[in-house]
Amino acid sequence: MTNGFGTRRSRREVLRTAAIAALGAAVAGACAAEEEAPGPGTRSGQAPRETFQQPRSKLSGELTILLWSHFIPSHDVWFDKFARAWGNRVGVKVSVDHIDLAQIPTRIAAEMQARQGHDLIQYIATLSQFEPSVLDQRDVVEEANSRWGEQLALCRKSSYNPATDKFYAYSPGWVPDPGNYRRSLWRSAGMADGPRTWDDLLTGAAEIKRSQQIPLGLGMSQEIDSNMVLRALMWSYGASEQDENEQVVINSPETVAAVEYMTRLYKQAMTPEIFSWNAASNNQGLVAGKLSYIVNSISAWRTAQESNPAVADDTFFVPALRGPKDALAAQHVLYNWIIPQHAKGVDAAKEFLLHYTANFASASFQSKLYDLPAWSKLTPELPNWLASDPFGAQPADKLKLLNEAIPWSTNIGHPGPASTAIGEVFSTFVIPNMFAKAARGDATPEQAVAEADRQIKAIFDKWRAAGLVGG
Amino acid sequence: MATTAEQPTTRPIAAARRRLADRDGVLSWAFVVPSVVYIVALVGLPFGLAIAFAFSDVSAGDPSYDFVGLRNFRRVVDDPVFWRSVGNTFVFTLISMALIVLLGKVLANILVADFRGKWVVRFLVLLPWTTPVALSSISWLWLLDSIYSPIDWVLRQFGALGPVENMYWLGQPGLSMTSVIAVHVWRLTPLAAVIMMAGLMSIPKEIDEAARVDGAGYWRRMFEITIPLVLPVAAIAALFGAIFTFTDMAVVRVLTRGGPNDSTQVLASWAFYRGIDGGDVAQGAVIALFLFPLLLAAAVLILRAVRKIEVR
Repeated sequence: MTNGFGTRRSRREVLRTAAIAALGAAVAGACAAEEEAPGPGTRSGQAPRETFQQPRSKLSGELTILLWSHFIPSHDVWFDKFARAWGNRVGVKVSVDHIDLAQIPTRIAAEMQARQGHDLIQYIATLSQFEPSVLDQRDVVEEANSRWGEQLALCRKSSYNPATDKFYAYSPGWVPDPGNYRRSLWRSAGMADGPRTWDDLLTGAAEIKRSQQIPLGLGMSQEIDSNMVLRALMWSYGASEQDENEQVVINSPETVAAVEYMTRLYKQAMTPEIFSWNAASNNQGLVAGKLSYIVNSISAWRTAQESNPAVADDTFFVPALRGPKDALAAQHVLYNWIIPQHAKGVDAAKEFLLHYTANFASASFQSKLYDLPAWSKLTPELPNWLASDPFGAQPADKLKLLNEAIPWSTNIGHPGPASTAIGEVFSTFVIPNMFAKAARGDATPEQAVAEADRQIKAIFDKWRAAGLVGG
Repeated sequence: MATTAEQPTTRPIAAARRRLADRDGVLSWAFVVPSVVYIVALVGLPFGLAIAFAFSDVSAGDPSYDFVGLRNFRRVVDDPVFWRSVGNTFVFTLISMALIVLLGKVLANILVADFRGKWVVRFLVLLPWTTPVALSSISWLWLLDSIYSPIDWVLRQFGALGPVENMYWLGQPGLSMTSVIAVHVWRLTPLAAVIMMAGLMSIPKEIDEAARVDGAGYWRRMFEITIPLVLPVAAIAALFGAIFTFTDMAVVRVLTRGGPNDSTQVLASWAFYRGIDGGDVAQGAVIALFLFPLLLAAAVLILRAVRKIEVR
């Protein structure tokens, strides 16, 4: 066998070299993996002191928790220790399982059907579709309100069903969904401070794609980020799936106008990749420097800080874009903690939720300011952290605009609640499919909206008949 | 004494055992019962449960049972995505099967040939079948990625794509269905090849040699001897492949999640999306039940064809 330098090598030598190379790659990979996840506070900043309050009743037994693998891995390292430490202190054996976020609804469905599984389950969007099989957490919410003031409205609306007067979930935190843009690209399009309106987005992104061949990245796929950003566009155009009284109102001129806008935006500024995206695709595109603008939390940028610092330093944020009627974005993540009816450690689950909420400042800090609280009183340091990022933002005040994120953020189902029907519309991706149909030319905007209207009405009728939707 | 005392008791037992072992009826039941239990527990019960769910309002969030008649069936057939899934299931299965049988036969011919390193080749050929589908599909997900696709890179090197062009394999309906079929064919072809290899090896060499002596060329021997004799085995490979393909949702789930815009949705994946992701277990059960008559018809047709070929 001849190598690249013209000398002959035996098969044994080739295999040995390959083995050494593979071992080296594995070691290098392991080192790289270690480098990717530095602990919070390693660069600057002081992690908040954790608090502890005795549970309201004597606890014992076990508590099993299922939650997502956080986009910021350091959060999970902290959470697991935090949960176990609490368990040791109150006499409860706590075990925590993390799984990929896309698998959580499937896992919940399986556990509900089997009537056994975890005592406490967390997801990053509304779990209203599981309302009949979960416990009412009114007592936990009322206790939290009595301790820390009124819960943030968007968190309440994403965990409470007014038709049944039930808190199907407990929502102690959320994550805003700002626009992430590459300043160097947008400067060349004459908008160094990024787009402020949907019209700006169309003009600037089209110019960037034309002149620099870098597209815009707003998903129209069957995944969670597409669900969020397309609703933001609808609200900004004055459209919505339902009204305040939970009546389906999607078939409106405003929705048609939003769909027409997105069709133009796709044709002028995007590529077909956005139809195949999963929840991580826009993150990957931004980190790779292949997208000029995405709508996402700060996780893509945090990843870039480690893996592509040049892109991270060039990435800036803008609030929800203004449309003809409004400027609203969906919450990017809305934590829903549910306690299934089959749960055995109910008291422990409720006490743990209160303990976790009391320490939400730690959750915010350990998630590198990804998680924001439903009770602002709990994180007095948050405005300072956002104004001067403890985790190495360049410039340090890059996240300052998130201090003002509440007015331009709202819940899935806006202007109504995140009901069971809204949960199913969300999880069956009716809205992304509606936009995709029109953008691809498979249907006119009017036809796409009419089809979505038919699907949403069928879902609402079903849940209304079951008494879970009002109106 | 002990020996003499034992003899009268052990003899009748041994004799009784012999009598039991000689009774065909008992033996046949003993052999059949495990299979029957297995089929009833893992096929019959879930099938019965699916029928029961199809007439209920059971949802992911509410497992309580209420009879609702044919309401779920009406909703399912009124849904255009269901009909698209039915069409896609046929397209997916028919094209996949044609390619799997064809490529399986070609591969089987290579595998029966005698050459150095044939065991390594056989091992490599079987790898796609032995690799867990989730793992292999994720590798394909990377190969077909919209930004980092190595396939696009190769096409770019050959000038088939511009410097900033991409194919967007999973972003366009035609290409995404092609990708799903290609990955499925890649995965199932080794199984078909191994089945056909067994068929090829069972053909007596004398027949082939006699044909050679009579002056038959390669293609004549292929079409008049090899293919007719392998046909029953090929039909079995097709039956297995068709059933695997009809019921498969793993490739769709991992590669496209039914997208773009439900254009790669097949019955199995749509049943899962409606039933589990969408939380409507009853509708999911209805959609899954539509697989049953299709699979039954496919199985009956292929088995009849096999019998006809054997009789001939």
